[in-house]
Amino acid sequence: MPEEFSILGKRLPRKEAIEKVKGEAQFVPDIQLPGMLYARLLRSPHAHARIVSIDTSKAEALPGVKAVLTHRNVPKVHPRRKLEYLLDETVHCAGEEVAAVAAVTKEIAEEALNLIDVEYEILPAVFDAEEAMKPGAPLAHIDYGSNIYHGTDLQPVPRCRPDGWLPVEIGDVEKGFTDADYIVEGTYETPMQYHCSPMPRSVICQWTGDKLTCWVDTQVVTRVWQDMAQCLSMPQSDVRLIATYPVGGYGGKEPERTAPLIALLARKADRPVKIVFSREEDAIGTHRRLSYKCYEKIGVKKDGAITAIYQKMITNFGRDSTWPMFILACSAVGTCSMLYPCPNSKWEGCTVITNTPSHAAFNGFGDPEAGFCLERIIDEAAERIDMDPVEFRLKNCMRYGTRGLGLRQILGLADTGDSGSKELDWGIVGRDIDSLQECIKKAAEKSQWQQKWKGWKTPVAVNGPRRRGIGIAIGIHHSAYHLSSAVVRMNQDGTANVMSSFVEMGQGFGTAVAQVVAEVLGLRYEDVGVLLADTAATPPGMGNVGSGGTSSGIAAAKYAAEDAKQKLFSIAAERLKVKPDELEAKNRRIYVKQRPAIGIPIAEACLAGYQVTGTAVNPQPESIIDEKTGKVIHSYAIAATIAEVEVDTETGMMDVVRITTAHDCGKAINPTIIENQIDLSVTMANGWVRSENYIIDQSTGVVINPNMLDYKIMTILDMPKSDDLQEILVESPCAWGPFGAKGMSETAMTTQAPALANALYNATGVRIRGDHLTPERILEALGKS
Amino acid sequence: MANEIYTITLAVNSDDYQLEVEAQWTLADVLREKLGLTGTKTMCNEGGCGACTVLIDQKPVLSCLTLALECEGKNILTIEGMADPATGELHPIQTAFVEHSGMQCGVCTPGMILTAKALLNDNPNPTEAEVREALAGNICRCGNYKRIVECVLAAAEMMRGGNWNA
Repeated sequence: MPEEFSILGKRLPRKEAIEKVKGEAQFVPDIQLPGMLYARLLRSPHAHARIVSIDTSKAEALPGVKAVLTHRNVPKVHPRRKLEYLLDETVHCAGEEVAAVAAVTKEIAEEALNLIDVEYEILPAVFDAEEAMKPGAPLAHIDYGSNIYHGTDLQPVPRCRPDGWLPVEIGDVEKGFTDADYIVEGTYETPMQYHCSPMPRSVICQWTGDKLTCWVDTQVVTRVWQDMAQCLSMPQSDVRLIATYPVGGYGGKEPERTAPLIALLARKADRPVKIVFSREEDAIGTHRRLSYKCYEKIGVKKDGAITAIYQKMITNFGRDSTWPMFILACSAVGTCSMLYPCPNSKWEGCTVITNTPSHAAFNGFGDPEAGFCLERIIDEAAERIDMDPVEFRLKNCMRYGTRGLGLRQILGLADTGDSGSKELDWGIVGRDIDSLQECIKKAAEKSQWQQKWKGWKTPVAVNGPRRRGIGIAIGIHHSAYHLSSAVVRMNQDGTANVMSSFVEMGQGFGTAVAQVVAEVLGLRYEDVGVLLADTAATPPGMGNVGSGGTSSGIAAAKYAAEDAKQKLFSIAAERLKVKPDELEAKNRRIYVKQRPAIGIPIAEACLAGYQVTGTAVNPQPESIIDEKTGKVIHSYAIAATIAEVEVDTETGMMDVVRITTAHDCGKAINPTIIENQIDLSVTMANGWVRSENYIIDQSTGVVINPNMLDYKIMTILDMPKSDDLQEILVESPCAWGPFGAKGMSETAMTTQAPALANALYNATGVRIRGDHLTPERILEALGKS
Repeated sequence: MANEIYTITLAVNSDDYQLEVEAQWTLADVLREKLGLTGTKTMCNEGGCGACTVLIDQKPVLSCLTLALECEGKNILTIEGMADPATGELHPIQTAFVEHSGMQCGVCTPGMILTAKALLNDNPNPTEAEVREALAGNICRCGNYKRIVECVLAAAEMMRGGNWNA
């Protein structure tokens, strides 16, 4: 019988909704402190250069300038970066920071930048990944000695071959191809993407005595807190980091050098310092999505069985990363391994350092890129044997009990705070994976696939030059169980506050965590206050990465609420003269399960206990073991998307008519918020391939469209009308998620682009293997450009 | 060299403010930094996103592209002035955004709400297509457009049923 919930699964309004609609939610740029200075950063115009000399005397002499920093007067430390220092003597990309100034106004700070004289020795630079791999190519990082990233002393990558390639293989891929009736192969590309957070990077730092308070717009509070303490050689106890409402990070609001630099400026000036990046510097000076080039080869039998899969991937790393190699590795152990199990599979990949902006996590973390490639060739394979692409996917997709390619541990994940579990096997999945088939079937049904699909090379409809087509893609993304913790503090009136270092940046964490805590404690939703991301009070956590808000942060909060409940039960048991396990909490009362009339208000137990606090650290390893194999496993959120497009073959314009996404979320804590998150990924993925184009000039390495007029985000007119953007929620509980819930926010990002490309093919008969599905590319593919 | 200072009076949310401004200061900067009305957000500062939208004499205007000096003698409405000043009750558009989850990160929300208000002032009974047309200049990076349309249509219905003044 399904469990009855009072609060879980309800479409409750967001906790922070009223603050946001009144304009009261305070973001970092909104904070003003008395005596505050404004900082600006000087950025390199060159893609690769050594600073021969830097003269800041004129800038320092400008009235109103209070502090200037260069590589000569900042500590030589790595703020989580693997290749670069806080400020470097060598710059590795156009737009990289060279100096920092704090002044009494933004205008004076800006003027001071113009007074800094820098003499650069320009070094040869390389921007394209394949160019950078050629013998004799310039080194993007001279000190690193190679353009293929293969780890550092601080963070070795033991599985890398000496040439920097990371290989994974099971079975005998050559034999698999020999056994095939047909082989399809091709080279596919995926584009870079700029996070374009609505709020550009912003930081405020204030010193009081030896103590530092920082307001940072970040999604990984504990990591930035640790980094700040480390960069400034301070104890964590003297550093307080607050990230009340970070803004839509989408992966990009990760540690980087700005926060420690601003802290150093504030210390030097002895006044609070604020920086808010301009849109342009946010676009060139933060991060972007990796671009991929993938060679894909699939062997298939006439009956539809896949006999071999070979995937080879080259990614453009940029100048540095907060997650070197991890994103590529997640492509390998995620989409490339787990979507289509095949006994003979081989994957290899490398990541190439270039003189372009650094890359970071970005919605999907390697799975959208891998999925955009794999799901296009899967379509080609289905066509080769003339099988319906829905049927082909149903036949071949991952099922419970099947083994994927993934290894035990592809990288040493320990330094990330991942559980780094000894026995974690990425190649095995739990029973919940079978939602893959359910998602495919539900998306097909809702989108009327059967009625619309008329066979290969037959569009859904033809109206003069306008052709309508339909296409499918499926996707997975792991639901991370990172190290995290939570505290639930009971108050004297029977209400509770949950404290977590996870953030509310729009994804609904604050709402969902309150719903879970209220459900566990038998409180009302409004009885649970949420305090997030203030290191003075909130316990450590990995932060909002890897769709881990639910599966890590909320899981910890659930255990903490249960801990608090047990303490309340002990107090109540004594008063009611029963054993704690005879009790239940509901409707703000603790009562005897068998005799509900006998009980006390939760408030009474709180008052009697005076200080009742529940705590927990997640994950709890015993809860993440697969019943069949006894192995510690990962869980994946699943999506299937069917897209319908209409293409004007004269102009190349593609209208996206309808998108249907069926999405497994384990258990929907708040269905509305899950639908919000699906819509986010759908829209962002449409932008990724339809309109957003992060253009790096290939002769100078300069980003030529760092603004929101030329870098085009999907508008409300570019997306299907409301009835034609369908989200179907599927609940296939995860064994270790809170009430079975999975982290689901990123999976819908993986399925959109290939579904559009496959629909485009059905409409027009041309396959685009390149990175964008823009009108120019469509016309080019149609031979009309 | 110091820039010339001008003294102006700005009428914001029915309050008059006498201010000293420099000629190049934008309305967005003055609202946020001089008046502390930080509910007005700036996402791009170059007219590319609609986040900084405020109403000037009931028309939606990008405050990042408007000089404060131009606004003398005009009525400016920001998100802080949307709720009923007497009772504090939310405006129906705000209520709809709360009830229908019209926001994710919340940065585009004030601009969306004010643009929607301008639409509903002129057209109390818009179609979905008209709502989309009106909001075409407001970027939501969180892709919440479907819910935002739902919010505006729900608000229109609430306003038609109530006695809300424009």
